[in-house]
Amino acid sequence: MTMPPETAPAGPDAPRDGNLPSAALILDEDWDASQPAGRWLRLRAWWPYYLMMAPGILYFVLFHYFPIYQARLAFQDFRIFDDNIWVGLKHFTTLFDSPAFFQVLGNTLIISAMKIVFVFPVPILVALLINEIRTTNLRRFIQSAIYLPHFLSWVVIAGIFIAALSPSDGVINEMRGWIGLNPVGFMTDSGSIRWVVVFSEIWRSAGWDSLLYFAAIMAIDPQLYDAAEMDGANRWQKIWYVTLPGIAPTIATLFILNVGMFMNAGFDQIFNLANDAIRDQIDIIDTYVYRIGLQSGQFSLATAAGLFKGVIGMILLLAAHTISKRLTGKGVW
Amino acid sequence: MLGKKPKTAAAALALLAGLGGTALAEVPVVTIYGHENPGDAELMERIEAGMAAQGMEIDIELVGLSSSGYADALSLRLLSGEIPDIIYFQGGDTEFANQGILEDLRPWIAEATHLQGALWPHNVERLENYPYLLYVFPARTKSAVMRQDWLDEAGGQAPQTVDDWTELLRTLSSSDLDGNGENDTFGVTLPGNTSEMDSLFNRAFGISATWMQNAEGEWIHSRVSDQERDKLAYYQSLYAEGLLDPEFVTTNWELKEDKFYTGRAGIVMGTAGLVVDIYRSKMQQVNPGTELVMLDPPAGVDQGLIAVDVAKESRGFAIHARSDAKEAAVAVLDFLVSPEGQFIDRMGVEGEHYIRDGDSFQITEAMGTWYPRFFVANPDYWSPPVDLLSPVAQGSLAQGAQYFTPDNAFVWPSDLATDVDAAEQYYRTSVFRFVSGEWSMDQWDDYVQGWYDAGGERMTEHARTVLQ
Repeated sequence: MTMPPETAPAGPDAPRDGNLPSAALILDEDWDASQPAGRWLRLRAWWPYYLMMAPGILYFVLFHYFPIYQARLAFQDFRIFDDNIWVGLKHFTTLFDSPAFFQVLGNTLIISAMKIVFVFPVPILVALLINEIRTTNLRRFIQSAIYLPHFLSWVVIAGIFIAALSPSDGVINEMRGWIGLNPVGFMTDSGSIRWVVVFSEIWRSAGWDSLLYFAAIMAIDPQLYDAAEMDGANRWQKIWYVTLPGIAPTIATLFILNVGMFMNAGFDQIFNLANDAIRDQIDIIDTYVYRIGLQSGQFSLATAAGLFKGVIGMILLLAAHTISKRLTGKGVW
Repeated sequence: MLGKKPKTAAAALALLAGLGGTALAEVPVVTIYGHENPGDAELMERIEAGMAAQGMEIDIELVGLSSSGYADALSLRLLSGEIPDIIYFQGGDTEFANQGILEDLRPWIAEATHLQGALWPHNVERLENYPYLLYVFPARTKSAVMRQDWLDEAGGQAPQTVDDWTELLRTLSSSDLDGNGENDTFGVTLPGNTSEMDSLFNRAFGISATWMQNAEGEWIHSRVSDQERDKLAYYQSLYAEGLLDPEFVTTNWELKEDKFYTGRAGIVMGTAGLVVDIYRSKMQQVNPGTELVMLDPPAGVDQGLIAVDVAKESRGFAIHARSDAKEAAVAVLDFLVSPEGQFIDRMGVEGEHYIRDGDSFQITEAMGTWYPRFFVANPDYWSPPVDLLSPVAQGSLAQGAQYFTPDNAFVWPSDLATDVDAAEQYYRTSVFRFVSGEWSMDQWDDYVQGWYDAGGERMTEHARTVLQ
């Protein structure tokens, strides 16, 4: 291990007065960034980027890492003024003894699995289809149109779905009537409600989530398509043999991140779509934590439920990352 | 509303100038967390002036929180350790009471000038059971109301029995009373669940309290009683016949009102007093000249409104047990139920909400938008010089008083919170399944077992130790 050359920062490639360093400086093999001096030089060289990163890092430290420390509340009885009282696994025992918890856990797993299976592939499909539209204006119009639902809150979307699926005057049931089908109370039917959750998620997020895949498609070297065309590939073959392999790393990364978020089945969505008729089908850990924690004031118990969810999510993320690494050589790090 | 900057600035200037700084510093400051309402600053100034006129110089700092998600926002603020002298709770107070953060109000009330006299009977019982919340207000009973012209067209006779009610609902559903050419009016609509119907129908089916004794003399929850089964069978028949709004479970508060005003529902239930008055005002905005009529609860096994929970106030004002300004906080609450405080809080602003000519008062149209921010004292203690509510709203209050019976529900210990939650969720879902016909009444025994499994067992065991 060698120290970076002392002359490097003062050389012609060194950043001065906030100018960014050249690639030659960064790729200098003699510059060992693992050494304190190397790290300092690197920090000095890249400071504008670190400055840009700072708000993001601060956000994660404050809202994601600091709460990990506060998760010790799951092992304590919460006291507002006095010191919390250490109670070990008491809240976890209460949680697992709770008559509703395993139903809530089951709902979370089912809804999350349905979203992975049915929602995750849709943005990929949408990006592939948008890529096939040759008229630029039409493509832009369709992109804009399908991005719009992403900007609506779940309160509004729930209102739209409740109205559209109304058995008395909802547009969906009216359309069913045209072909002689009886109206169905989708919002109150135990067998339908999880599909309403899945479909509303697709409706809201498919367009927006397709952005990343579309950007990945745009980054594919056009010469690959030219070569495929010269080899006589048709459209389907070009999608199958050029586009999909080209965006495979993006798909793998997003899949792993989605698995990591597996236990987040969507508080806002479920909270707004739920009603008494079907709550037992879509009550998830997040809504349970809200009810028990905030509404009933059982803060330690709610923290225990949240911690349990976080640990499961972490295990799933690590498992997906490991499997992906072994199968495709790609992971999130 | 966050404080009063001009006053603070004036105080700061006075201190800097050394002019009366000591005197200003001695004025006790009482901070209140409550709902954010228009005109709060002016109201606080009038209350301060009213108290000052009685020799009580107090600076009231009202911190208004948005009504939307109030309970959650309040809870988070208090958890951060920011606890004011007076806190308005709308649920979520028990954990704070359990931790000794809320003051036992009974000794203070016993010493207060006005509070004891201003309390309603249910307030007295609730304070005895749970002495941390004070809410001097009529019991929040529900009354059923409908359009007077529709009742006239339906025969003019207000229903008295369960059968009369069924017949009226049938008439409302089968007639095109809103004249839109479509048969799209339901007899009654509800916001989300059947609890509003229960308010009127429980006693008709013999459900006299939350906990009832079975044939063996054991305490059981009314939700697993035979009387509950009979009531749900009745609701099921209404639903099957199309008399009960089939979409009640996805109907929220706004939608419920909308259905009522636009003629899609014939009858709704509203909280006695102010809420019934608001329904009347809004109905008259949509259908000018329309008057509402209140209906009696049906007679059956018994007649009356649902028993009133006296275990504790479901909302109300608490005092921080570690506050340095407890005496001042009690003085504020006491003043608010005094004749002077009630006049300020309930009458609104002179010239805007009422006009005074000597000893006679006349309320203006703007009074329809004014509502008391704090308390409504027992009318035996103080009544406004002019009727502030419409006759139908006054009638709903009288109905609540006429049928008042205390319930035997109690506050659950925190270690049963998950059982209470699970049993509640199970009950609500099951009710819809029975009412909608998804479950036959033959499945009642399965439901009862399910309720016991979903936490009801532990709840019942605990109840039997409490009620004995």
